[in-house]
This record gives sequence, structure tokens and C-alpha cells, in this order.
Amino acid sequence: MSRGEALETGPATVAPAAAATTPAAAAREDAEVRATRGAFGRLLRSELRLVLGRRRTQLLVLLLALVPVLVGTIVRATVDSAFSGQGPGFIERVSGNGLFLVVTALFLCLPLLLPLGVSIAAADAVAGEASAGTLRYLLVVPVGRGRLLAAKAIAALTLVVVAIALVTAAALVTGWVYFGYGDLDLLSGQSVSAAAGFARMLGVAGYVALSLTGLLAVGLFFSTLTEVPIGVIAATVVVSILSNVLDSLPQVEAIHPFLLSHHWFDFAEFLRAEVSWSLLGQGLLVQLAWVAVFGSLAWARFTTADITS
Amino acid sequence: MNRTLLRWTVPAAAAVAVVAAATIPTLASADSPELPDRTPEELAAAVVEAEPVPMSGSAVYTARLGLPEIPAQMTGGADPLNLLSGSSTIRMWTDAEGRSRVSLLGTTSEYSVVTDGPEAWTYASSSHQVVHLTLGPDAQEHLADAEAEHAAAEAAGTLPTPQDLAQQLLERAEEHADVTVGDAVVVAGRAAYQVVVTPTDDGTLVDRVVVAVDGETLVPLSVQVWSTEATNAPALELAYTDVSFSAPSDAALTFSTPSGAEVTEKVVELGDLDAAPEHTGDVPDGVTVSGEGFATVVERSGGDLEALLTGDPAAVADELDHPLGGGPGEELFGDMGGGTELDRAALYEQLTTPVDGGRLLSSTLLSVLVTDDGRILVGAVPGETLLEAAGLA
Repeated sequence: MSRGEALETGPATVAPAAAATTPAAAAREDAEVRATRGAFGRLLRSELRLVLGRRRTQLLVLLLALVPVLVGTIVRATVDSAFSGQGPGFIERVSGNGLFLVVTALFLCLPLLLPLGVSIAAADAVAGEASAGTLRYLLVVPVGRGRLLAAKAIAALTLVVVAIALVTAAALVTGWVYFGYGDLDLLSGQSVSAAAGFARMLGVAGYVALSLTGLLAVGLFFSTLTEVPIGVIAATVVVSILSNVLDSLPQVEAIHPFLLSHHWFDFAEFLRAEVSWSLLGQGLLVQLAWVAVFGSLAWARFTTADITS
Repeated sequence: MNRTLLRWTVPAAAAVAVVAAATIPTLASADSPELPDRTPEELAAAVVEAEPVPMSGSAVYTARLGLPEIPAQMTGGADPLNLLSGSSTIRMWTDAEGRSRVSLLGTTSEYSVVTDGPEAWTYASSSHQVVHLTLGPDAQEHLADAEAEHAAAEAAGTLPTPQDLAQQLLERAEEHADVTVGDAVVVAGRAAYQVVVTPTDDGTLVDRVVVAVDGETLVPLSVQVWSTEATNAPALELAYTDVSFSAPSDAALTFSTPSGAEVTEKVVELGDLDAAPEHTGDVPDGVTVSGEGFATVVERSGGDLEALLTGDPAAVADELDHPLGGGPGEELFGDMGGGTELDRAALYEQLTTPVDGGRLLSSTLLSVLVTDDGRILVGAVPGETLLEAAGLA
């Protein structure tokens, strides 16, 4: 048996072995389960503190939040020039309604910056600890490896959600300060009230966050394979780019609906008069499938690997 | 069993479950559903004559015409030009009483055509431009109500829906093709008849047309046009992916001009509405028609090309009439597509190849020859046939 497995056989896995035949044994088991649960909660809290407290992740999130500020400022500065209304996404709408800055910012961040953030979160989670030599100390915590991985995954996901929330908030504030809010003109030509538009923007941000979960699972799996975090970052970014490339090739049309990035830009549904929930649901199902496969791969790898550093 | 191995069976099981979940619905739909027997002629006629029913749905349109891909940045988002190549998603709503909305979806844009009786609007979200079309008084007087309803929509350069495309193709089918009924299929989750139309004339590029017709309502749910030049996939495919036969909401069917949008008013005069010659038998001046059925070649010296091209996506028609100079069709199209920052002359150069005495566009379904002396020849025939017809070969 590997050293890793020996380590893993902590209280959580010992308890069921001592089958609860007597009340005393049952009580002891209960206490152990409670202790383990408490340990998981503590572990999760410390993970969250660690992930959100890291200077470089804070800097990364801050830089991401600068994107809407930068875009808003540029649009504001050029509003009367010949460049007004030119650019990708919804940029031509921003000067008329600050709410559009949310979609513009997410549209600009989604192809590369957000996947990069996801990759960094995933790389730091396991490979980062391994390369710093701190992973084996974590295994001493009375929490099974599966739960340790779960805590890591939740912390990484929190980081991604926080990053997207901050981008959204920065866009909302910048848009309001520079351009103000108004009735939101949808892509279909109808318009909805500013309040409904605000809600739709939150929907966009939520969908974008959920549609990155598949990539996060892929990154976590890579993270369990190696002790080199930069390799995980590179591999995960490559996966997202590859997914985008395949998505643009008509020759492999048959696999498009299953690609990680195929439904990323479906967040535009929130800007159509009739939001197609079935399309959004499909996008989330695809993410769920990737999470199921790569999450379980990460679990299988992490719970069976020799961890020496 | 080894514990390590046991752990790895979990992701394997997850992968199997995912693959199964993805493939089982398609396998299930491969089974041929049961539908009462109908004769081919009956079906084709029923489709052509069918009254519209209130419905809404999404359709995927795929063109494999062998034309160069038009990059999205060239068209600036959702634009009817995207219909020339690649895949597009189209959503439609209709209440069957003259009100409808058809939208071409782009990644972050939308191009909508909204019809309300004799009025129509187009709205391009990427350029934030509205075109409002109304019928001129003489046109209104001249046309029956039903015709008037269609007139504005047609002038707006309607986006294709499976119903329109199927009707246009099946109308020709009765005289010039063999109609058979294939195995029933499932389209958009509904059991559908398959009507197969095989042109009798060898001279055409159209190998066969397959129309799937809903078993219950007889609404066309998908249209495939197969080319003789590409046998592995249909050259043109337009199929609903989901469809609902309930009346759509008022919000979807009404048009209100978005704030700040640039509105162009366009009055459609009778002269803009030249019906296609094969439908009325009334050939306008300067037009010669040779061949028949699917192999028809239409030759025209100047004028409104759009009307000659019914039976093919409106976008093709719209695109092609541009380089010709003059004509109400072009004027109309200029208004309609003017917002897209697209160098149409460059596109024309890209799509056509120079031949002796003109320029030829050849796709897997349609050829267009523009001669240097100002004639245009169009037909669902190989390019050589057009060159011969023009006396250039």
C-alpha cells in the first residue's frame, strides 16, 4: 500500500470499519463524525482565507476588475470622436447605457482572462501546495482526501466567483458613474426597465461564473497530476484555447455542442426578448458533464496518488 | 479488486454515463416513428396549401454552398449575409394572423424581421438601425389583403424559415420532379413525414430536396437541399431544433423602436413587388427564361434581380443584386444592409471568379453569371450551362 493511502486512512474511514454494534461504539462513531465535520469546516475556512488572502490572487482579481474601468474610461474619453461606437461586443451601446458595460467587460474577459484566472486558481489549489511542500502537512488534517479536494475545489470556485463578482461590480459602478442607467434596449429591439436590465446583467454574471466550472474541474485534475503549477496553468489555458479553436472549425461540427467553450457566449440570451432557458440549461448541462468527468478524475487521482511533498 | 483501480472506475463510469446521456436521445430519434400513410402528391399539396398555424421555434440553418466563409468581423454580427455560408440559428414566432417575428441570432447580436399585416420592420442590433417598411397607396390598392401582408415582409428581405423554403421548393416540385415519401423521422421531437423531391431534369445542380413535414399539423419542420456535387451532406439545411405550436406572446410579435435607433422609412411601391416570373407567367421586360423546372435559367439585363431569385435564400438574392447598379431591389437592400460596415464590392470580388466576358459565381446549388455587357444569368445549374446560355462558351 502506498504511503499516500496509509495517510488517507484517517478517522473518517476507520469509523465505518468499527461497525456500530454497541451503543458506546455508535456514540464514539458519532463523535468522530462530528469531529471530522468540524475539521472539514475549519479546513474550508482556512482554505478560503488562504486563497482570498494571497497577495497575487488579490492582485489578479484587482487587475480583472480594472478591465471594465479601463473600457469605460476609454469609451467615455472617445465618445465624441470618430472612434465612438467602434469595437467588439456591446461597446457601441455602453455610452448610451452604463448597464452594457457589464456584458462588454465579461465579453472581453471571457475568451482569455477569465480562463487564465480559473487556471491559476486550479493550479494553486493542489500543484501549488505540492510545489511549496505544504501538501503533505495538509494530509495530516483529520479529513479524508476526497474532502480535502472538495475544500480545495470550493475555495478555487469561490475565487472565480469573487473575481467575476468584482468585474461585474466594477462595471456597474463605472457604467453608472460615466453613463448612468436607462431602459435597456435588448438585441431583439424591445426594451426593458433599468431594474429588469440590472437583473439581467446579474443573470449574465451568474451564467458566466457557472459556465467556467467545467474548466475549473479540468484544471483541478491537471493540478493533481503534477507539482509544477505553471504547467497546470499552461495546460488549462491550452484546453480552453483548443476548445475555442475546435468550436470555430465547421469540419468538427458534430462535437461542437459538447465543447467546454461552446456555450460560453450564450450569456447573450439574457439580452434577448425571450430568454431561451433551454439553451442556457444545455450550456449548464455541458458544464455539469465536464465537472462530473474531470472532478471524478481529479478525485481518483488525488485519493490514490503518492504524495511526498 | 485493487483499491486504486476501483477508484479509477468512478471517472470511467462518469464518462460512460455522460456519453450515454449524450447519445441515447439521438439513437432513440433514429427509430422511425409510426405515422398514417399518405400519398406523396397529397402531402406535397397539403404543405403548399397549408394555412399557417400559430407557432414558435428555433431552427438551425446550415449552408455548405462551397462559397468562401465570410468572417464575422466582416459582417459585424448577425446579418443576412451570414446565411451564405456556415451555420446560423434562426428563431421565429408567428400568430398565423399576419404578425410574425423572425430573428437571426449572432453571438452577441440579432437581426430581426417583424411583420404586422402590411407593415414590416427590420432591426439590426449591431448597427442599431431600424428599417420601417409600409406599402404605398397604389400597392395597397392593387393587392388583396393577403398579398399585402406578404408584400411588406418580402420587401424586407425575409429571413428563411422552414415553412417558406419548403413552400417555395414544393411549389415547383409538382410539375418538374418526382415526389416520393421516405421513412418517417423525428424532427424537433415530433414525428414527421419525409417528402423527397427529385428533379426529373439532369441539367440542374439540385440532386434532391428532402422536406420533413410534421405528422400532425403538416407544418414543414426541416428542409434539406442536396446538391449533385456534394453527396455527403446537404448543401442547404434548415431545420427546427425545437418547436411549439402555441400562440406566442404579444411581446415577441410587437415592434417598438429602440431608443436612439436610426430609423429609415421605406415605402414599398407596386414596382418593387414584381412577382417572380415562374409564379405568374408574366415575364417582365428584359427577362428571358430558358429551361424549365429546377434547371430554369433566367437571363436579365439590369433591373430588379431579387425577384428572379425566389426559391433561394433571400440573402443570396440581396447580395447578388448589389453589384449591378440601379434597380429598386438594390436601393432597398442598400437601405436595409447599409449599417453593416461591409465592403460589398470586395465581397463580390471574393465570391465570384473571372471568366471570359464576365464574372461567375458558382456554388453547389446556384450559379450566377454577370456578363461584362450587363446581363445577369441565374440558375440552379452548373456554371458551364450559364456560359453557354450567355453565348460565351
